[in-house]
Amino acid sequence: MSVIQGVDLTKAYGKLKAIDHLSFEIEENKITGLIGRNGSGKTTLLKMIAGYLKPTSGELKAFSEKPFNSLNVSANLMFIDDTMTFPDSLPLIDILNEVAPFYAHWNSSLASGLFDYYSFNPNQPHSNLSKGSKSIFNSILGIASRSPLTLLDEPTTGMDSAVRKDFYRALLKDYLEYPRTIILSSHLLSELEGILEDILLINQGTKLLHLPVLELKELAVGLRGNAQTVLSFVDGKEIIYQEEFAKGSLYVVIRRELIQQRLEQIRQNGIDVLPVATDDLCVYLTTKTKGGIDDVFKRS
Amino acid sequence: MILNTDSMKPLYVQIAEWLEAEILNENIKKEERIYSQYQLAEMFTINPATAAKGLNILADEAIVYKKRGLGMFVAPNAKAFILARRRGPVLGQMIKELVTEANRLDVSESELYRMIQQVRKESEEDQ
Repeated sequence: MSVIQGVDLTKAYGKLKAIDHLSFEIEENKITGLIGRNGSGKTTLLKMIAGYLKPTSGELKAFSEKPFNSLNVSANLMFIDDTMTFPDSLPLIDILNEVAPFYAHWNSSLASGLFDYYSFNPNQPHSNLSKGSKSIFNSILGIASRSPLTLLDEPTTGMDSAVRKDFYRALLKDYLEYPRTIILSSHLLSELEGILEDILLINQGTKLLHLPVLELKELAVGLRGNAQTVLSFVDGKEIIYQEEFAKGSLYVVIRRELIQQRLEQIRQNGIDVLPVATDDLCVYLTTKTKGGIDDVFKRS
Repeated sequence: MILNTDSMKPLYVQIAEWLEAEILNENIKKEERIYSQYQLAEMFTINPATAAKGLNILADEAIVYKKRGLGMFVAPNAKAFILARRRGPVLGQMIKELVTEANRLDVSESELYRMIQQVRKESEEDQ
């Protein structure tokens, strides 16, 4: 069953289309990673799902309703991002206590457990927290709400690596205990992908890929070795990424299905066949120019 | 428990191999219940769908079998089966890579034999 459906969804800010004819479905009780470069439309999409923004055109439904102005959607949804603000008259501990009645599945023992684990000062105002501490506090709200639809927009911004690991583990453990639909947007795909089931990769407001992480891992292979030999195998096929890393040596990324039958032969010709890390692959797939940052320096 | 996220091997293959190792060294004995996908997800901090795929590899090879409503159990001949498979295709693939590398380095066949014998001798002395 799908919890969110988007059909031909578009959100325009003036002439700029932040989301451009996007169609997708998010299935119930899965953890989906929303991945994309800066400015690819991740936050705009999440804000539309959360009902903060109204789509310019197309159709968007969460729990079979349009999220904008829907009490039912907002009662079943938690949206966490780093621009959340709380009144300064409420210290942290009061925020935890006051949000509880708004969320039917709120787990107060988990909230206070995490609050103590991170040694928050109960009397501190939210606005005084450091960037990382704000993210930690907000993520506590996100996890403890146990909302049937939990949207986390860059939840790990500013967290150090130890805290990020704790966060992923806390999120996963609570998800195992209480399965729900979770969408996480992040740039740190490599450390996140273990807990994900699906990945939705968007670029310039359109969908590039939406598939299980396990399939993404096997979508492409990298071929590395003598340039002419590599080229002879990939000739005429669509190349995802290409880099001449040394004179006469080439690294080429290509869809596995295009050369699956010849992999053995390729290896025997002295070409290394390498798996492509998912975050590298996502970068290759969303790069506007073929050559990357090095091209900028070649020009000058 | 930590999985190697940079490894060439996908996480679910690492899960399957870890479970095989547990069966081989008899931490999980035959006819005993093996970890569920949710236990594995918790132990390794991975999505339960990934853990399930690891378990499915073992189920496909009949190393574990399903008891309805009770979970997955280790097959009576699991250990022998894992050993046989690792000897066959797995070791075969490693030897293929070894031979390719030896050819690239201009190591002759007899030289390669000698190197293997040397390593075997050393590992016997260590034991």
